[in-house]
Amino acid sequence: MVLAPGYAPLSFTPPEPGSYALPAMGSAADGAVIDSDGNSAQLHDFLGGKPTVLSFIFTTCDDVNGCPLATYVMRSVQDALQADPATANKARLVSFSFDPVFDTPDVIDAYGSQFRAGEFDWQFLTTEGATTLDPILNAYGQWVIRDYDENGEYMGTMSHILRVFLIDESRQIRNIYSTSFLHADTVANDVRSLLMEAAAEPSADTGS
Amino acid sequence: MIIRGFFSALIALAVLVQPTSADETCMSPYMAKIVGQEDYVYIWTLGLEGVGDGEDKLVTVDVNPDSETYAQVIHSISMGGRHEAHHSGLTDDRRFLWASGLDTSKIFIFDVHTDPAAPKLHRTIDDFVEKTGGVVGPHTNYALPGRMLITGLSNNRDHGGRTGMAEYTNGGDFITSVWMPTDDNLQGAEKSGSFADGYGYDARALPRRNVLVTSSFTGWNNYMMNLGKMMGDAEAMKRFGNTVVIWDLHSRKPKKILDVPGAPLEIRCAWGSRSNYCFTTTALTSKVWLIYEDEAGEWQAKAVADIGDASKIPLPVDISISADDNHLWINTWNDGLTRLYDISDPFAPKQIMEEQIGEQVNMVSQSWDGERVYFTSSLLANWDKTSASEGNDLQYFKLYKWDGNSLTPEFNLDFVELGLGAPHQMRFGAHALYGGMTAQSPSGLVTTPPAH
Repeated sequence: MVLAPGYAPLSFTPPEPGSYALPAMGSAADGAVIDSDGNSAQLHDFLGGKPTVLSFIFTTCDDVNGCPLATYVMRSVQDALQADPATANKARLVSFSFDPVFDTPDVIDAYGSQFRAGEFDWQFLTTEGATTLDPILNAYGQWVIRDYDENGEYMGTMSHILRVFLIDESRQIRNIYSTSFLHADTVANDVRSLLMEAAAEPSADTGS
Repeated sequence: MIIRGFFSALIALAVLVQPTSADETCMSPYMAKIVGQEDYVYIWTLGLEGVGDGEDKLVTVDVNPDSETYAQVIHSISMGGRHEAHHSGLTDDRRFLWASGLDTSKIFIFDVHTDPAAPKLHRTIDDFVEKTGGVVGPHTNYALPGRMLITGLSNNRDHGGRTGMAEYTNGGDFITSVWMPTDDNLQGAEKSGSFADGYGYDARALPRRNVLVTSSFTGWNNYMMNLGKMMGDAEAMKRFGNTVVIWDLHSRKPKKILDVPGAPLEIRCAWGSRSNYCFTTTALTSKVWLIYEDEAGEWQAKAVADIGDASKIPLPVDISISADDNHLWINTWNDGLTRLYDISDPFAPKQIMEEQIGEQVNMVSQSWDGERVYFTSSLLANWDKTSASEGNDLQYFKLYKWDGNSLTPEFNLDFVELGLGAPHQMRFGAHALYGGMTAQSPSGLVTTPPAH
């Protein structure tokens, strides 16, 4: 097994935060979700206001280069941002389960508690089921292939394309990462770039 | 990466972190791959006047030997006219196939996931030139995570070779565009030699090195001109690209411009986790070039082999690298030969075999395991030959079996006899990519069995 690049030190010098553009790729979609406390909410309640990194996972994924990679990278991003007073508590992470059957609020709460550092804004979300989940997955281009036997019985395994989304304070998608290019250093730099961008924008209050 | 499931035997999970295989060997490293038997080949086909409806079309051929319709054209969808159909590319999730026209600059987005046996038109991009600020001739449709990178060949100001690249969401919404670096606007790139022509053609990414590599061809004035007329025009023959550009993949900024004289065309990068190099071939000078990262971390270009006798203008076109990075198929359009090179030493490629495929040959696509090699014939409407010598095929789609030593013909479809046109880019499809024959909702929780 060859581990994804995200598990190792970055093998190149990334461009400096703020030295490049992150063009908007469209609005991040909304939908009905359930948080880890079991409360009904909207996905947009957890997007906007600050840069957010959103990944789609399922807690029983055992492919080291899949969901565990996404969670590993997000934890590393959390740690990197929290270690810098300039970026601490200025971003959010959202891990969204696409397995509502197994990933109940209790399950994702227990899962998330392993990774969330203190009171850092890292949300773990699930859904009621296909009715609310399917529109969200469709909007984010996330399709899951579940394995069914010849009798139509679910075999307990599924496949999906790993995608992690960077969403800005206005709920615009600004980058999408897949396994080849998912690394905490580049994701954290992109978050820093968005924070620098927001800091540079004229304030509405001052009218400047 | 596709995270594994039952279908992992049929679909490749990791493009990304381990060597994989497919023309499958030649696509974006962000994409899912078919590791088993492909079911279909989608062939983007140029319309020919007097042949069938004369329109550009996407043709679907059944290539699964277990199928009742094996080796048959099972579907075709025409695009209402001739657009100079050339290249196509799949989105990273392989749900959509983008196919573009070099003349009209239209891009057709086909849904290939709802029914892989019968692609349907999902969307047409008809404002590419306007949105990109004047890029003409969308060429390579290359998958990046959740989006498509489209390289251009020309521009709407002088229809010469200066051009740019654009990015679109997988759904077909414009994101951004960038122009290739030129002498008067290097955009921070290092001009390492004599050229900074601003021309474009192909693009390939090496994510673990944060590098995007682009090549350079020629503009609309040339590629839409009759070949004989162009070759007799000394001024036109000066207007070909001579550069390969190395870009910072994350920032999309050009870093270095390399001299690769003679129109470097297709780029294929090695898959090995420590193989920081790519190959290209030059159409006019008939050479294999190695684009590589040296020990100091600098990207360089070096001519490493000849392709045939350059004085006879064999005209290298499509190339295909094997999964293990040991072999490179190189087609020479003008003499209709496919040539296999041993590239186990990338600095010293050696031709080890050649085979006559047809009167002309352009594209080559390998299956995941390299055992099946497909060929098509068409290059450009105004360049293609119009007659064939005795025993040679003119416009065809052919499958050969490759056993490591020789090519054995499997089937041959004459696209003129079938009333289709001139076949060009091939892309593979498989039901396994989408969960088999049973349709699933995005979550996979709702399933719809096949109608039959």
